[in-house]
Amino acid sequence: MDWTDAPVRNLAFPVDAMSEITLQDLRNPIIKGISMDIRDRELLVLVGPSGAGKTTLLNMVAGLIPHDGRILVDGERVDGLPPSQRHIGYLFQDLLLFPHMSVKKNLLTALQRLSITRSERNERISSMLELCHLTSLGDRLPGALSGGEKQRAALARALVASPKVLLLDEPFSSLDFRTARYLRLELKRIHSQLGTTMLAVTHNLEEAQDLGDRMGVMTGGRLEQIGDVQEIMLQGKSAEGGFLEKANVLPCAYQESLGNGLIYVQWAGGPLFVPEDGGKPFNRVAIHPRHVYISPYPPPGPQVNRFQGRIREIRHAGGMAHVELMVGDQRVHAQMTTEQAQALSLASESPIYGILKLRDLHGC
Amino acid sequence: MNRVFLLPLVVLFLFTAGVLSALFFRLSPGEIIAALGSDETRFALRLSLMTSIAATFLALILGVPTGYVLARTDFPGKAILDTFLDLPLVITPLIAGIGLLFLFGQNMLGARLGEWGIHILFTPWGAVLAQTFVASPIVMRSSRAAFERVGPRYEWAAATLGLRPSQIFFRISLPLARQGIMAGTILGWTRAMGEFGATLMVAGAIRFKTETLPIAVYLNISSGDLGTALSCAWVLMATGFAMLLALRWIGQTPRSETLPSR
Repeated sequence: MDWTDAPVRNLAFPVDAMSEITLQDLRNPIIKGISMDIRDRELLVLVGPSGAGKTTLLNMVAGLIPHDGRILVDGERVDGLPPSQRHIGYLFQDLLLFPHMSVKKNLLTALQRLSITRSERNERISSMLELCHLTSLGDRLPGALSGGEKQRAALARALVASPKVLLLDEPFSSLDFRTARYLRLELKRIHSQLGTTMLAVTHNLEEAQDLGDRMGVMTGGRLEQIGDVQEIMLQGKSAEGGFLEKANVLPCAYQESLGNGLIYVQWAGGPLFVPEDGGKPFNRVAIHPRHVYISPYPPPGPQVNRFQGRIREIRHAGGMAHVELMVGDQRVHAQMTTEQAQALSLASESPIYGILKLRDLHGC
Repeated sequence: MNRVFLLPLVVLFLFTAGVLSALFFRLSPGEIIAALGSDETRFALRLSLMTSIAATFLALILGVPTGYVLARTDFPGKAILDTFLDLPLVITPLIAGIGLLFLFGQNMLGARLGEWGIHILFTPWGAVLAQTFVASPIVMRSSRAAFERVGPRYEWAAATLGLRPSQIFFRISLPLARQGIMAGTILGWTRAMGEFGATLMVAGAIRFKTETLPIAVYLNISSGDLGTALSCAWVLMATGFAMLLALRWIGQTPRSETLPSR
């Protein structure tokens, strides 16, 4: 899709306003300076560790905490407006469904500001409930809903008045893995159906990858980089203590397309199968260190995308083990938790077997 | 547990039971029932209910918004103001009554109010004034605690949904804090019903005019009419007991809501 002509929604905190940001604690300003554009109808995900200022940024955009700088929505400045007049929806991390009102009443509250007739209101509420698969739950109190249902009810409430931008704070962090995954797909579906511009923040890289049209990386109150999701995942800067681990980029020899969605390439003297993605031939494959699985013994199972090598170095930082391997003359990085590394009793210079997870290989 | 701890419990129980039975068995049930139906008891009950309901209403109007402001804002000197507003809780009612008497007396506010035809001292309005003075800080404290428990985040959510501050207060904050506010209202009302010292100073003890239940007990004990005094005492205790039960019931009402974790 070509975005170049799309109108740009611009959210800007000028870097030079750093000292003017007034938060509750002046000695510790959380947002150091952020400047970014959000494209019309896109879903932009900001990812970053806890304490990066993600929630603070959203609270500023919503107008809930004082801030300096400019915020433009559809080209109009909203930074001087109170939250109730910004027309920016907000899905809070703790949802904040009003516990004393049914799901329908919760949605109705969001429609108070629109001057529309009662039947239009009911129409909007029921179509939003339907969109979020909540039709049968409209009369329930939030306390009688499951975690996933609450999440959808809060999303419906945030969207029912058609805000110009929707902010999402760690939208699925409180849910179990399966529910979260399902709801991510649901959010993508609702996003594509409504076309609401969305700005989400999360500490979960996988979530960011799943959700985002584009992705930004936030650390220490600054926006480090912003761009296409694959681009960021594969070419992310790997600053010391940086949030993103640099991806492995492995030179390979393109052999052929197998016609079943797989590409056969030659890497480090062996065969490698890579998912077909776009169909263009490539001579490099990229894989994130998290998706390189290693073991001191040959792993069982089908002998696909296996390699054998030698450990060069093991570094431990922040509960994670970073393992550098040599496979032939190729350098490969693997990443796991310190506990996992200890359980495998990895040692430098010892032989190692590994798997490059097929689904997470990208030709580039 | 050491059995020694049971002794104070037994003493406390006997203490309370002793006081209650002394009040109860002093007169025969027939005498009490006769006195309950007397004009004086009925007048005192009616006046007590009217003044205490008016006072509780005023205490709500003053206490709930004050509690909200104190729960949601921070400003220099807040702790001092806070302590100051709690003073009526620790001032002896008799002394508070003297203060009210001076404040609304002819030398201060009384003259001006009198020009407007408002007479507070030694009228039932004096009783309302005295009761409001003691009930307001109770309502204010409970409301404040209730608003603090709910926290500001639901209000944030309401603001992003486009509600104006007044809508947020009446549709979100107030309903969510209702349990604590109701508990405070009951406590304040109980306090207003039983108010004696300040009422005596401000409204005086005038038969069939400013004779609330506690004043009626005082007047009839002084004049030796034990029947009316005790029947008024019983009515007062019964309402107090009913309110204790109501408090329990509110405390046990299952709450469908879950408050946000942060």
